[in-house]
Amino acid sequence: MTNDLTNDERPPATPADSMRLIREQRAAAGRRLFPSQLYFLVPWGLAWLIGFGLFFLRYGPNDRTYLSMPGWLPLVALLGLLGVSMVISAVASARAYRHMAGPSALKGAMYGWAFFLGFLSLGVSIARVSDELPPNDQGLLWAAASVALVGALHMAGGAVWHDKSLFALGVWLSLVNVAGVIAGPGWHSLVIALAGGGGLLAFGAVLAVRRRTWLAEPV
Amino acid sequence: MHEGELDPVIHAQARLRVMAALSTLDDGDQVTFPRLQEILGMTAGNLSAHLRKLEDAGYVDLTKKFSGRMPTTLVALSRRGRHAFEEYTAAVRALLDPPK
Repeated sequence: MTNDLTNDERPPATPADSMRLIREQRAAAGRRLFPSQLYFLVPWGLAWLIGFGLFFLRYGPNDRTYLSMPGWLPLVALLGLLGVSMVISAVASARAYRHMAGPSALKGAMYGWAFFLGFLSLGVSIARVSDELPPNDQGLLWAAASVALVGALHMAGGAVWHDKSLFALGVWLSLVNVAGVIAGPGWHSLVIALAGGGGLLAFGAVLAVRRRTWLAEPV
Repeated sequence: MHEGELDPVIHAQARLRVMAALSTLDDGDQVTFPRLQEILGMTAGNLSAHLRKLEDAGYVDLTKKFSGRMPTTLVALSRRGRHAFEEYTAAVRALLDPPK
């Protein structure tokens, strides 16, 4: 025990050892304290890609069906995948923030509530009026309003964390959403699946590279 | 600048590791003692002793928090500690790659 303390007290043998210790310890701490964003982006990206992809295949433009499947399948698949993504995000967040306190933890908590309450208020509002619409437009309204909210939340997130690429992702989702709505119900699904889901996955790749770079050279 | 001028509080293997780990947190953010202990791979007693020394030097802030019935200690670099660590890192870099 005393021996440990004596060893610990010793200065690093050389400046190179100091630098190595700093790098290794910062990387170890970073890895443990800040889990990869892939836990968030891959589930959501795949949910959009697959969920909206199924919508496009079953309820394509001009009422075409490219791949026959039960009418309920796309919605159930989308909601199921979104539900799974939500659980994964919540668990990953909890594990990351559970052992920390301070402004970052607060930001994360508030952001999570923004998603939850934002979607609650959106859902209640749309549910009230959507029956008035023809079926194709009902689906379009739900999808477009949801993507609009997600885009806005990502732009806000960019502002909160001073992250230009997160902001850019929000801009991308918003523009893609507008383009899809203008193109019409079937096309909107395709656009969101590929450009939206794909955008999320691409952003995940960007963050993964950023993280790997930092872990290799953390100082 | 030579090795003898490196901050003696930080220039010890264990304390350097503690400072390096804490430096990854943003300003104002704190980590729980158990999580820090896990990251560093030290015994609780060992880490306590090093933290006490760093706290005496004004480099870390220790706060006691009560989550439920369990008290836990939250650890963070103080502003002074953050500056001291940045200066130490810059000094080490200068020793490794002296400006001409």
